[in-house]
Amino acid sequence: MKNKFTKPAGAALLATLFFFWGCAENSSKSEMSPQSGLGGSMARFAITGNTLYLVSKETLEVYDITDGANPVKATSKNMGMGIETIFPYQNHLFIGANDGMYIYNNQSPQNPALLSKYTHIQSCDPVVVQEKYAYVTLRGGVACRNWFSQSSLDIIDVSNPSNPVIVRSQPMLSPYGLGVSGNRLFVCEGDNGFKILDISDPTLAIEKFHLKDLTSYDVIVRNNRLIVTGNKGLYQYQYDDQDQVELLSKIPVL
Amino acid sequence: MVSYMKLILNMMKTLPHLLLTLLILSSCMTSPDETPVNGELFQGLGYKPIYATGAELKNVNITTSEALRSPGKIYILDRYLFVNEMGKGVHIIDNSDPKNPKNLSFISILGNYDIAAKGTWLYADNATDLLVFDISNPVEPKLSKRIANAIPMHNYPPFQNVYFECVDNKKGTIVGWEKVTMAAKPNCFR
Repeated sequence: MKNKFTKPAGAALLATLFFFWGCAENSSKSEMSPQSGLGGSMARFAITGNTLYLVSKETLEVYDITDGANPVKATSKNMGMGIETIFPYQNHLFIGANDGMYIYNNQSPQNPALLSKYTHIQSCDPVVVQEKYAYVTLRGGVACRNWFSQSSLDIIDVSNPSNPVIVRSQPMLSPYGLGVSGNRLFVCEGDNGFKILDISDPTLAIEKFHLKDLTSYDVIVRNNRLIVTGNKGLYQYQYDDQDQVELLSKIPVL
Repeated sequence: MVSYMKLILNMMKTLPHLLLTLLILSSCMTSPDETPVNGELFQGLGYKPIYATGAELKNVNITTSEALRSPGKIYILDRYLFVNEMGKGVHIIDNSDPKNPKNLSFISILGNYDIAAKGTWLYADNATDLLVFDISNPVEPKLSKRIANAIPMHNYPPFQNVYFECVDNKKGTIVGWEKVTMAAKPNCFR
């Protein structure tokens, strides 16, 4: 497979970017303001601080929600390409589009600036990010991919967000949402179940568990707990460092 | 293979050229009106838009709670869990005890797939409109604002290499797509 990367947009931008990225790493690990919540990687809506982002069709819509009851449109960015998902991480927005992953600098939350684009063959791709690496699932088959029908998990080095570099592409079955926490990566494989992978080496995902019966679409990971939705219902699990996975509850589909 | 992919990638940069090139290519292989640009044959299945009229679309109802049928995306805020019912609305669940989540209420919203929440406010899509709910009492959420046409929508289904019935905006707003058998090949393809 060929992957293409956009070139850095110029020395000035690069310098600015390093400055911002430095800030991002120094500021804090908590990317969410205390009162906003957390969505899964399939989300097209995201909130950071007082800003609500909506991605739809070909635009990124930005709303000021300082007054929560009255969202005020701040800006709209035309991306010229079908958009599927948005994942805020530190001072960046990672946007999954039909032609790749776009990285926006979010230092000025109500006027995000495009930094780079990681391009691959057409697909609809949720993305999650932890520290230096972005994890993107590319689903083959009928849904979104036009020219290729192989599903994969791509691991992309985003330590320089103006120049994302693929480090590995691993085969997957039929991936949808995914989640990351510490040395574990969680991948919803649609009708093919749910996978827990070891990323102690963040550039290599090693399968630890494949829960074949847990058909899954979206996942949220927080505090060693998993919340998973799929066509059988809503499942909650607890896991620990010894890889004990315990079902806490399920709300079945009726 | 690699050079073919390169060719495709280059062509994708210039869509008009791509279309022209593929039209020429496909005309070499088959009649262009039998086979679309990338060679997917019509096999009797296509996507049909599900329309809602203005009044139907704006009909937002709160009920005590409903069973999950087709759960989609999830969102957590404090002890609450919001679960999208694909195309139909939002379940609000008290998840203070993850071993015993309690279904509190259901907001029925046509064309709803996405949710986000902050403080006492829940944001949800209602096809092209953005809705704001006051969830200070999550058992009885209240619609507090509607921002019309906040969310641009495609006039084609969220799939590729598919045939579909062309959208007629006069019939209403699209709130979903259903895959149905079609006697004749529909006029739209992507």
